[in-house]
Amino acid sequence: MSDLLEAENEEQALEQLHELGCTDGLPVVIPTPERVKQCVLASGMDGDMLLGELGPAMGNATVEKVATAAVMAGCKADYMPLVVAAVKAAASPEFDLSELQATTHCTAPLIIVNGPARETCGPVASGYGALGPGHRANASIGRALRLCLINIGGGRPGISDMAIHGHPGKFTYCLAEAEEQSPFPPLHVSLGYDESDSVVTLLGCEAPHSVLYSDNADDPEDAEKLLYVLSVGLANLATNNAIFASGMALVCLGPKHASVLARSNFTRESIQQRLWELTQFPNAQHIRYAGEFGKAFKDDPDGTYNAFKSPQNILVMVAGGVGLYSMVMPNWGGAGHQNRAVSVKVESDFFCAIPGLSQRGEL
Amino acid sequence: MPVVALITEDFWDQGQFVANSLGMPELPRVMLPHPVAGLGEAKIKVIADDVIEGILDSFVNE
Repeated sequence: MSDLLEAENEEQALEQLHELGCTDGLPVVIPTPERVKQCVLASGMDGDMLLGELGPAMGNATVEKVATAAVMAGCKADYMPLVVAAVKAAASPEFDLSELQATTHCTAPLIIVNGPARETCGPVASGYGALGPGHRANASIGRALRLCLINIGGGRPGISDMAIHGHPGKFTYCLAEAEEQSPFPPLHVSLGYDESDSVVTLLGCEAPHSVLYSDNADDPEDAEKLLYVLSVGLANLATNNAIFASGMALVCLGPKHASVLARSNFTRESIQQRLWELTQFPNAQHIRYAGEFGKAFKDDPDGTYNAFKSPQNILVMVAGGVGLYSMVMPNWGGAGHQNRAVSVKVESDFFCAIPGLSQRGEL
Repeated sequence: MPVVALITEDFWDQGQFVANSLGMPELPRVMLPHPVAGLGEAKIKVIADDVIEGILDSFVNE
């Protein structure tokens, strides 16, 4: 069981939580035992069930503690399966959470939702402004994970989270793929899951970088030009991927840009391949600009290197409204697993609808 | 294996946090000024001269 704090009223409780460093600096919903119990009940799991350990504090992420974060973040009970899946992904050893929380690089776990849970556990927005304000599920699911990283994982700025600047995605960072607007199979299908599965893919990455490309259907080089511009954003010399020559990154294609590529018969795999080729750079450039890291290629000044180990390290998804913009999210590339993305299937079979709280129908 | 961690001043609290969470709160540490990256060889040598005694003492005291 979690420790129980006492306060005269919700206002004092909020101040107490702020003073204890249990918030992200914004007001939270007070996690009263009743509210937490409802979220635990909604998860269909035992409150004591351990979902994993979260570093660097190596705190036990029990369902009850995760439910507490979900309440504080403003989640509906319906969102619990997505929050649980995100926490499981963060706790996976391949995610290297302790190092991700501790690094000086600005990185935050981005939650990508695929499959039916986008609606049944949401709706999680995938269209206009999906990464911005106004979408309750996106805002509160991402925030719930952050509050878990603070209160269970112990990530606190300047003490255990040494990000030099951080980034706004450290408050919340969550969106769904616009599967219906995408000309490609859903991301989770490309990663090996069934289309009927719901999957959370977690990638520690930078804030989104905007990529402007004004397409022209009459230009036979339209797709190639778009891919070039994307590659510039993806791995320019200011990114860790270009300097560390490791890690992963996400390309979040706007539906219009996705259609430009599909029109030229590109698939997700051939987009990854071409972006991988376009992010191959001269060693001489690395030697000149990468400082201490430049020593990696000093013995081969005339050669070339790839910013990404393989094309599969460039994730491609479709989201956003219809216009001239896509987004790229480079990442850190450090730690034992080089900052890998981790996917976890959403277990919504256990979910228990709470009368009066759940928007979900048949489960 | 004997270990002494060299930690810069700004990361001192983080070092203690990680040492605690790994169950090694007394892990020997020596503080360096912050930052040390990019200072150049001459300044690094000055820092090394300043801390070498503390490093050796930490090994001996362990």
